[in-house]
Amino acid sequence: MRFQDAARDGRAVVYAAIQADPLVARAADLLADAEPAMRVMARAVMNGESTERATWTAMLPTLFGPTAGAAPRERAEALLDVALEVAERGEAVRSQFRGAIVEELTARLLARRAAGGAIRRERRILFDGVRAEIHPYDVTVERDGASEAYDCKWGARGIGDDVLHQLDDARRHAEEEDAGLLVALVIFDAQRSCDVRLARSTAPVDGTRLVALESLDSLGDR
Amino acid sequence: MDDPAEATVDAVIERALAAYATLAELGEEIDDEWSYIQDLTEAWGERFEAIRVARGNEGLLAETTTAIDVAIGEIGRIEDPHRAIDWLSTFPQVAITALGEHP
Repeated sequence: MRFQDAARDGRAVVYAAIQADPLVARAADLLADAEPAMRVMARAVMNGESTERATWTAMLPTLFGPTAGAAPRERAEALLDVALEVAERGEAVRSQFRGAIVEELTARLLARRAAGGAIRRERRILFDGVRAEIHPYDVTVERDGASEAYDCKWGARGIGDDVLHQLDDARRHAEEEDAGLLVALVIFDAQRSCDVRLARSTAPVDGTRLVALESLDSLGDR
Repeated sequence: MDDPAEATVDAVIERALAAYATLAELGEEIDDEWSYIQDLTEAWGERFEAIRVARGNEGLLAETTTAIDVAIGEIGRIEDPHRAIDWLSTFPQVAITALGEHP
């Protein structure tokens, strides 16, 4: 098993520019330290119709109301500001930002337990005698005998049989080569919604770890 | 909200579920996702009902009823069925968080 940079086609070049946008890094920084309720808020704002600040502060009184503590409220407000910046980019662009943010957040949480150099982006995994998958993995942790491959999605609806098959195939091929590979889906959506989506799938799911919005912090657990 | 009966957990969940059903109808315009929408709305409907069973008669602060009504207003603005499907997951999370519960 070996890793390889994905081909830099036109789409990849455009997307790389979004991944490198400072807004993505700011959002990922704040989300990495956010509580689950703040992540719910950010998800809603980045996918919402309204871009008026007051709408969102009224919608989540546990974060912005009088009973919210000063420090958490400050963090929630900073995250709201960034989420609104994403929302204001317009539908086509913000959907790409949302994807890039989930990927960057995943990388940052993984960095809490893995050396920075081991964490890579947009990588393909090659196995002897097996045709390479076209789609690269969003985030990988590359270590001898204990590598990890992550595909990141904004919502539960993004869970499809194609990605589940790709992850499971990679896991099986790695097993055949005695090369440890954990495969996982990171979904910036509620576990309940992910479970519903997975229940409808005919693809193999048992060997793939699911990390939903509520369990994102587990990515950084040692 | 002048009528205290409209400021209970039971009442706001009733309003939330009605708005949620309308949102689901919009999402159902995407034929390929019809079954997913049925399962998703059932799953989140059960979560709302569990909260209603546990706290139905509980009176809510004005800020909480406002929060739910603002969230209902937000999904009422959605016209795109694809976004409606995404909000079939997002809306319950927001509303349940506003009620002080974990989704």
